[in-house]
Amino acid sequence: MSILSLFKGVRLPRSPEPPPPRPLSPPDKVIIPLRQHQGRVCEPVVEPGQEVLLGQVVGASEEFEAAAVHATVSGKVEAIAETYDPAGQRVPAVVIANDGRDAWVEAEGAPPTLSEVEVVQKTRPTRLLKRLREAGLVRSGLLGLPLHVDLSPPMAPRAYMFMTGIPVVRPIDTLIVKAVDHDPPVVTNQAALAEAGEELALGIAALARIAGARRVVIVLPAGVEPPGVAQLAARHEWETTHLDGRHFPYAVDNLLVKKLTGRVVPTPYGEPRDVGVVVEPLVTALDVGRVLSQGRPPVDRLFTVAGDVAQPQVFRVRMGTPIARVIEAAGGLPVEPGKVILGGPMMGYAHFDLDTPVTKETDGVVVQSAESVRTFQDQPCIHCGRCVAACPVGLVPTELGKLCEYGQFEDAAERDLLHCIECGCCAYVCPAQRPMVHLLRFGKSEVLARRMEQ
Amino acid sequence: MSSRLLTVSTSPHLLGRATIRSRHLETMLALLPAVGFGVYYFGGPGLMVILLATASAVAAEYLAQRLTKQPVTVGDLHAALMGLLMGLVLPAGAPWWLPVVGGALAVVVGKLFFGGMGGYPMNPVLVAWVALALSWPEQMNAFYQPLSSEWYVSETPLMMLKDDPSTLEVVTRSELWWGLVPGAIGATATWPLVLGGLYLVIRRIVPWQIPLGVLLGAAGMALLAAYTDPTLGELGYETFAQQWSIVTFHLGAGGLMIAAFFLAPEPVTSPVTPWGMFLFGLGVGFMTVIVRTWGAPVDGAFYGVLVMNAATPLLDRIRPKVLGKIEGTA
Repeated sequence: MSILSLFKGVRLPRSPEPPPPRPLSPPDKVIIPLRQHQGRVCEPVVEPGQEVLLGQVVGASEEFEAAAVHATVSGKVEAIAETYDPAGQRVPAVVIANDGRDAWVEAEGAPPTLSEVEVVQKTRPTRLLKRLREAGLVRSGLLGLPLHVDLSPPMAPRAYMFMTGIPVVRPIDTLIVKAVDHDPPVVTNQAALAEAGEELALGIAALARIAGARRVVIVLPAGVEPPGVAQLAARHEWETTHLDGRHFPYAVDNLLVKKLTGRVVPTPYGEPRDVGVVVEPLVTALDVGRVLSQGRPPVDRLFTVAGDVAQPQVFRVRMGTPIARVIEAAGGLPVEPGKVILGGPMMGYAHFDLDTPVTKETDGVVVQSAESVRTFQDQPCIHCGRCVAACPVGLVPTELGKLCEYGQFEDAAERDLLHCIECGCCAYVCPAQRPMVHLLRFGKSEVLARRMEQ
Repeated sequence: MSSRLLTVSTSPHLLGRATIRSRHLETMLALLPAVGFGVYYFGGPGLMVILLATASAVAAEYLAQRLTKQPVTVGDLHAALMGLLMGLVLPAGAPWWLPVVGGALAVVVGKLFFGGMGGYPMNPVLVAWVALALSWPEQMNAFYQPLSSEWYVSETPLMMLKDDPSTLEVVTRSELWWGLVPGAIGATATWPLVLGGLYLVIRRIVPWQIPLGVLLGAAGMALLAAYTDPTLGELGYETFAQQWSIVTFHLGAGGLMIAAFFLAPEPVTSPVTPWGMFLFGLGVGFMTVIVRTWGAPVDGAFYGVLVMNAATPLLDRIRPKVLGKIEGTA
């Protein structure tokens, strides 16, 4: 990675370290969206009025690109209603009233639990993958794929690879486990380091076994050296490295891969696996370990509440808990609330409905008070070039923004609009405070819509 | 809870602190050392020119925008900055109406005619400067000798260089770089401009490529002139140290330093891509020394900036490499 990249991106403001994670009691009512991943919507397999137990499947799908969803409390199904997913789209959901018993469903014919790394390393990858799929695991983070999709080779080589000379099937040799968060102050993965132990080792070993990776790299946040992880890494011959999460967006997958391995992920449609790398967040690796050692689907997750709340915190919450309740536990909304952002401040989505639930995709929520909300301005571009200097993928956002603003979508596409990763660095540094990401997203959607028509 | 409405917008939800106004304010702060030296050297007349130019630019923008029923943008300090720069590139001996006309021309003809902020193709301050220099050459060359008890018009080192290459040896470099020679109010003292310019580079308001390009271009061209120009050859310079003295003369003389750090990096009229910026700067540096050595006008720095402004759209086509792009795909 060249020295020049040090000057790209943006340095985000320092935020206070949150205290270690603490559990949050289950809510009276959970809202379980039937799609908690990027992919197909599951069909509900329960009916209103039915009693469900903890860990019981409430939504499943025949499709490959879907992860089953499970009840995260025991109780009675109240309704099949609609809610919003983290990206703000409407999605059907199962609403369950909690009876407070937390009675687990009896697993019938479940395979024996695995608790030793050596055993995992000898288990057939397809068996491991099947367990992860049954547990409905999803890669943690906005727009996360179902984990079994993320780890499986693509069904067919993608078209763009034929024209480019990239080997069509490249075996995966490296697994990168991200303990650094790309969008602070949402620091869920960093907080999960507090729970690092044998389950983490199990999870990482299983991920490496499934992917076929020989080399495992654990990326720790700069200045953090948890002794547990160092021991694990030494025992299993895994590498550890450090990365400053405040240097946004260098913890985003493609840039992380470039930084650690020097390989360039082809864009716009490529994935790290195309260059032989799989990147998984630490939270997901922990969940894999739990699923294998306990034989149960995960019902809770780590969730960060940050920003203008009285007590920024990382909680272990039941999935399906409305974010209003989690924010309340962190001290509640400020007197004059401004924005509630799922994800992180740079790449997250602002929400208006506080009943939106915590899902497998959401790492955390950022609350902004009305006075700290920054608005974009309708000012002309002053051509200063700060966005070009900041863009981590080497675009010329100023020109793309103007082209999209004036409807020249094909010209913008010729100037590599689709390679934009929507990180928001251009908008962050823009002195005219132009809504850069908004313009580029608009342009992208128009270009894709026109290409679909053809 | 439901009665309070939340704001929804696209990401990012954090913005940096830089605004157009803060950029202009910081650029004016960076000009303060130059203004201080100018006022110290040229006393009352110098201060008067600077104040008149600034006031005229701000008033012109306010009046023109009121007259054409546009939103008044005096608050973003751009007009004030333009007026300040205008004053700094004028001679202290200018009559009172010269800075007034200059400031108004810069704002109205240079900026507002082309659509205001972000729209103009050439540096408006220099557009006005050229208009003045072509219309009133006598008044525009009324350079005072600094720190004198009685003001008198005198020749600048660059004017003397045109007639006599031995000027290179007459003017000491410390006089030149501290501005103790006749020249424009803010452009003659070089060190304060370097100081302010470095501040802007560190604050990333000025991209480092442009000043670096200007200085390298001027230095390179000055060396080339030292090797090739017969009149300079008469001086009999043989060692590199002697030829280097030509470089230090050109870097310190005339408007090169104010062009390098304040006029060439004017955001609207300079390129945005890294290599484009660097080549833009090199071009300005080349032009400066070419005009000074072989051209008809006395100083080429401002003409160099204007010529390269015209090349900006071309230079913007030199794009950085897109990460992950595979050649032949869109």
